Amino acid sequence: MNTWTIMSYELRRLLRSRSMLLNMFLLPLVLIFLLGSSLSGVMGNGKDSTIEPVNVGIISQSGEGLASSAMVASFLKTPEISKIIVPLEVESRKTVESGLRSGKYGYAVVIPANFDSEVQSGGAAKLEYILGKDRTDNMVVGTVFDNFLSSINAKQAVALTLGPEALTAEATTSGDHALVTLGKLSEGGMTYTASQFYAVSMMLMFLLYSGLTVTTSLFNEKENHTLFRINSMPVTGSQLFIGKMLGVGIVSIFQCIAILLLSHWFFGVDWGNRPGLLLLFCLLMIIASMTLSIIISLFSKNLAGARSLITVITVIMTFISGGMAPLPESWVNSVGVYTLNHWAMQAILRMMLHSGLSQILPNLAVLSLICLVLFSAAVISYRRVGYHE
Amino acid sequence: MSLAVLTDVVKRYNDKLTVDHVNVTIQAGEIFGLLGPNGAGKSTTISMICGLLKIDGGDIRIDGLSVSANPLEVKKRIGLVPQELALYDMLTAEENATFFGRLYGLRGKLLKERVAEALAFTGLSDRAKEKPSTFSGGMKRRLNIACAIMHRPKLIIMDEPTVGIDPQSRNHILDSVKALNKLGSTIIYTSHYMEEVAAICDRVAIMDKGHIIACGTEKELRERVAQEEKIVIKAGQITPELIHELKLHPRISRVDVKDGLIELYLPSSQGELQDILFIFAKHEGIIGSLHIEEPDLETLFLSLTGRTLRD
Repeated sequence: MNTWTIMSYELRRLLRSRSMLLNMFLLPLVLIFLLGSSLSGVMGNGKDSTIEPVNVGIISQSGEGLASSAMVASFLKTPEISKIIVPLEVESRKTVESGLRSGKYGYAVVIPANFDSEVQSGGAAKLEYILGKDRTDNMVVGTVFDNFLSSINAKQAVALTLGPEALTAEATTSGDHALVTLGKLSEGGMTYTASQFYAVSMMLMFLLYSGLTVTTSLFNEKENHTLFRINSMPVTGSQLFIGKMLGVGIVSIFQCIAILLLSHWFFGVDWGNRPGLLLLFCLLMIIASMTLSIIISLFSKNLAGARSLITVITVIMTFISGGMAPLPESWVNSVGVYTLNHWAMQAILRMMLHSGLSQILPNLAVLSLICLVLFSAAVISYRRVGYHE
Repeated sequence: MSLAVLTDVVKRYNDKLTVDHVNVTIQAGEIFGLLGPNGAGKSTTISMICGLLKIDGGDIRIDGLSVSANPLEVKKRIGLVPQELALYDMLTAEENATFFGRLYGLRGKLLKERVAEALAFTGLSDRAKEKPSTFSGGMKRRLNIACAIMHRPKLIIMDEPTVGIDPQSRNHILDSVKALNKLGSTIIYTSHYMEEVAAICDRVAIMDKGHIIACGTEKELRERVAQEEKIVIKAGQITPELIHELKLHPRISRVDVKDGLIELYLPSSQGELQDILFIFAKHEGIIGSLHIEEPDLETLFLSLTGRTLRD
């Protein structure tokens, strides 16, 4: 009964603190919105990109336009390429440069005089590219023409070394079947959006911060001398401790549910297809963060020291787990597996991608083990250090 | 009947004895004062009585129960008013009292009645719905008391409850202590204000450096001091020779010189005044004034320790 009393009054006090409510409920949502919307260009929007046809200015140095090169003309007429490139013959370099600046053309290609005859006589296939203003258009058209030149040069090399028969043989072996099959990141064939990524990252970071609420509560009880009074009452240490933890834990669960629901309603964040498992991961994160904070609090002399340490740990764990931005393969990424965030974040992202249980359960096992270790360490620390003024 | 019995109680911090073999018996129904300067060991003793600190030696029994063996049962019988304000600023006065009342095991209608009773007793009924942050220092002190008395404990321990408050609130608290005692509670009252202890306590123990150096009723303690009187002389000219000769007097046990005043301690001034005046005349010492001080607890503490309570 004492545990219930302590828990209910802890809840009452926490819910009356405006600054705490703002930090716990409003700040994560604002960050999810800001990061999700501002970084959507970097992270993608969860859908495959479609390539729009690009107007490509074609200039022939011989002044004959596309007619100067049958090879280039036939390449541009193939159905696959005509979906991507719209060739527009231009008379002069000056005109095409002006068109590139104004956006009339997305890219320009200069065909050298005698391109075809040069290639047929065994010379290297070379074209001049003039890049436009759009990075994606430049990349797409550049890749198309690079492939065209590579293909010609490769065929030329084959003909020179193996003879013209080898080219004929190569043509008969290639069929209509696709040479490349596109793989998918997840079983469900989906990718996550920036909003989804930062919703997970920010929620986990703020759940880690729930440990800070525990620390503040434990130290406030000391600094207000109410701990001294409670210890003089018929209340056991475990009743006091469990009551306080339950109070903070319930607020953290409210916080977690609020982030899940509000981010879904307001920003359209899809949290995946396993709500039960999602809540379980959140609960484990809350337990882990609270027990970690208890250990730090028991060994800290004052609130300022404990707060600083917890804040630093939280920010570092969020960063090296790739929570601020997906990290490239490096030692930082390797260290990330030792963070709480890593296991929860990867699991929740997989849930968002509708991955199978086999991809999620190992993370659940590791996170549960971490919680068990931290919980045991907190119990041992409490027994050794105690909680008194 | 004894309500609290402290037998050879010892508390050590590292190797230092903070409470050194303290033996005290407090009778049911009395107001027992614990007087001593800061650092004397009063708060440590109280913390051990309340089960807040482990006893390193000896035993404390409250209402026949050992604190070490039955801490929770003992705590039910005690109401502690801590020296520091122990209140939640986020809760109203009524909520503070209700919270602590629930922890003392009160529930439902009884809890409501007792909360209202405690707030009325401390004169805070009309401020029940307000938060302590809006209260004056004296009101906070009264709420601090209200939160400790709702379960009508057999033993109420008040640790310096009047520190830093105005005289009006101080009087209110002292009246409350007497009223609580009349309602049946035994009270342990600690203070370093000698006048407070003398005004309300039935018996007083004086602590210094972890020891009980004197214990008894105020009358008994005064009689003990009365065996040694203090004569205070304001002298115009104090020479070393004068002081030396006063010290040589066989009946004078101690001579102190402070701010132009000579303080003489001796068993009785009767019959010795003439000698003292003769010594002054011999050394051409001019006496501005002379008075014999009434012995009090401060004098007793001074005579026992050589220091004042506020040193």
